[in-house]
Amino acid sequence: MNETQPVNGLQTPTVADFAGTFRRIQAEVHKAIVGHEQAIEELLSAFFAGGHVLIEGVPGTGKTTLVKALGLALNLSFNRIQFTVDLMPADITGTRVILSGADGRREFAFQPGPVFAHILLGDEINRATPKTQSALLEAMAELQVTVAGVTYPLPPPYLVMATLNPLEMEGTYPLPEAQLDRFLFKVRLGYPAEDEMVKIIGSTTRTEEAVIEPVFPAAEAPAALERLKRLVREVIAAPQIERYAARMVRATQPPNAHVMGETPSTVAVDAVARYVSFGSSPRGAQALILGAKVRALLDGRANIAYDDVDRVAPAALEHRIMLNYAAHSDNVDAARIVAEVVKAVRPTRS
Amino acid sequence: MAENRRDEQKLWLILFQIKAIRTRLNLLAIQYWLFITLAILIGAAAAIFVLAALLNPLAFLIVGAIVSVAALLLAMRAARAALRQGANPTRAALIADERADLKGRLATVMALAETPPRSALWPYLVEDTYGLRSRFEPAQIEPRWVSRAILAPIVVGFAIVALTAALRFYAHLPSRGALAPPPDITADIGDLEVLPDDPAVKPNGRVVADAKTLRQLEAKIAQAKQGRVSNWMDKARKLAGNLQDQVTGRNPLPLSTIHLKSSNPASPNALNPPPQLAQAHPPGRAGAPGVSHSNPNAGAPGQSANSNGAAGNPDRQPPVVALPGEQADQLAQNGAAAPYQPGADKRGGGAGEPAAGTPLGGDSGGGGSSHGAGSDPAHLFGPPEAQELGSDSFKIAIDAVPSDEASSKGAPAYIPPKVRVPLSSQQFPDEPLARAAAPPEDQMTLKKVFER
Repeated sequence: MNETQPVNGLQTPTVADFAGTFRRIQAEVHKAIVGHEQAIEELLSAFFAGGHVLIEGVPGTGKTTLVKALGLALNLSFNRIQFTVDLMPADITGTRVILSGADGRREFAFQPGPVFAHILLGDEINRATPKTQSALLEAMAELQVTVAGVTYPLPPPYLVMATLNPLEMEGTYPLPEAQLDRFLFKVRLGYPAEDEMVKIIGSTTRTEEAVIEPVFPAAEAPAALERLKRLVREVIAAPQIERYAARMVRATQPPNAHVMGETPSTVAVDAVARYVSFGSSPRGAQALILGAKVRALLDGRANIAYDDVDRVAPAALEHRIMLNYAAHSDNVDAARIVAEVVKAVRPTRS
Repeated sequence: MAENRRDEQKLWLILFQIKAIRTRLNLLAIQYWLFITLAILIGAAAAIFVLAALLNPLAFLIVGAIVSVAALLLAMRAARAALRQGANPTRAALIADERADLKGRLATVMALAETPPRSALWPYLVEDTYGLRSRFEPAQIEPRWVSRAILAPIVVGFAIVALTAALRFYAHLPSRGALAPPPDITADIGDLEVLPDDPAVKPNGRVVADAKTLRQLEAKIAQAKQGRVSNWMDKARKLAGNLQDQVTGRNPLPLSTIHLKSSNPASPNALNPPPQLAQAHPPGRAGAPGVSHSNPNAGAPGQSANSNGAAGNPDRQPPVVALPGEQADQLAQNGAAAPYQPGADKRGGGAGEPAAGTPLGGDSGGGGSSHGAGSDPAHLFGPPEAQELGSDSFKIAIDAVPSDEASSKGAPAYIPPKVRVPLSSQQFPDEPLARAAAPPEDQMTLKKVFER
């Protein structure tokens, strides 16, 4: 079968089509990336769920390579921005420039920035100023860019993958909470294991390079991927599962009347009360359900299970939890908080 | 259209299977409740029966109440557990999901079966779930028809049978302890100090078993009867005793009797307890103090060992005080009072010959039994007696330390050993006040003062 031919045309994709396509994309990306199975799965899940991904990893762990490989496998347009402290918003969104027409007349014309692509890689996004970082807000949330009063839609499917370097924090600008909240998942890329390192050395120090085959033809890829994304939204979430996700998100919020309002969380978590200054927003619950839907499809199901929600909880909630000073002094990270929350909420399954 | 009908049929079959699972789960929950409650009731009843047989009434009342409350709480807990085990349709689906590893398929179908419009993937979900129906057959989800809780009453029953056998074996042993009525004990408590068992009575009250003792005992009992706590304690004892009798089906335990031998030679009333004492406290159940006028040893040779040689005098028959069996046992064990053996009194001049002026118990008779004879209001007046030497009063410093050997848990009162300190050369034994003539106009006043 031709690798570039869509499965079943994907006019009306089925659960099996989704899982098959997903696995094929995974396999193509793994041609360029050794290891990081979970990270790749979460990255693809975020893409099919219609979200954006924040990738955190130390230098040299293949962040840029991963994003490039994904772009090639999906056969979508791909742009990369290296965020620096002097980067301006217009460098991202584009700007109006004076162009000379054929008749010699000069007029303003919109020159699209790198944001106009299906896949945008924002490398080391925390090196840019908050003003520049915020230039991505509209693009990520509303799939559009407004320049000089004119709104320009972005081509679907649209995926922003921003990388964060947890080291060299000097001279960086931590992402504001509003920006962080717009990323569906946060994916961690750690150092590869020894065996994986050997494979990386073998595959990257030879003359031949990995050839990534696109899963869809370029012309059909956006539409086919959009249909698969719609299929994700069709996955059935029972009311009790939705309540479970809501309860989990509420459990990440500290018992603060200013934040929580009059109704406290039904599940009290000690670690949250001690170490969290702000918990997840409702976008966290959306991320939980959407991620769980992708997981269900990958498992060949049309319904979400509790375990699906639990499994996507770290990726969906960690970056939405703001820790306080006590957490930093006690060396408590968001991963531990989420683990505690999941552990506390699990018995409330009904 | 036909496809929709087939989907509906499949959905109906899925729901029917969930309903069957629910029925089976609820049946088990009901069985659980029944069996556990039965086990609790059997266990509690057996425990109460054993407690009734082994404990004294007050302890039985307390422990029995605790056992009853505990049984009630356990029964309520069992009911709550059974309610938790019970399943509504959603919970039945959830349980089936977990046990058949269906990843929430049944719970989702159950939750959304009645709520159209449905997702485009709904037919897929129904078809997928229907394809897995063999995994959630009721017999697969819950193979048991009978709850394991049935073991609980069986185990409790076996335990009770074993306990009954053990008790029967114990009952055939020579020393049957509390199960057997205590034997009659005759003891001379004329020289004995008795601390009251009832905490309602004034602490450290001392009762000396002579004529005065009987009157003081009367006063104490009368005082105790007026106290609220004592009344309630008596009522509680009686209630517990009746309950014990009903539970065990036995007659009230016969009381031990102790034949008191007063060492007071002065008053004939000393040997006859006041009638109101006996009337106020007729012999009753164990634990209820009482005094009886009956004397099975009346007229027996040598039975009276009074110091004034009252043997053979029917008016000087020793009073019979009925004490609880345990207390009588305690008295006997302490050796504070030598058991009375008709015709075997060796403390006098010989068998059946009581030693005049020598109180039983080996005491030299320096004080105690004859003290205060002149202060008795009934004997205040009469011909004057010659003042004897050594009638001056004196004071004795006593070293006393608090003791934790108080009675508790219905045990007999602690009876401290009698300690006699020899008098120094400067001291003389106390003597009773001699009677003296009183002017007629002062007699009423004196009588009132001493009656107080």
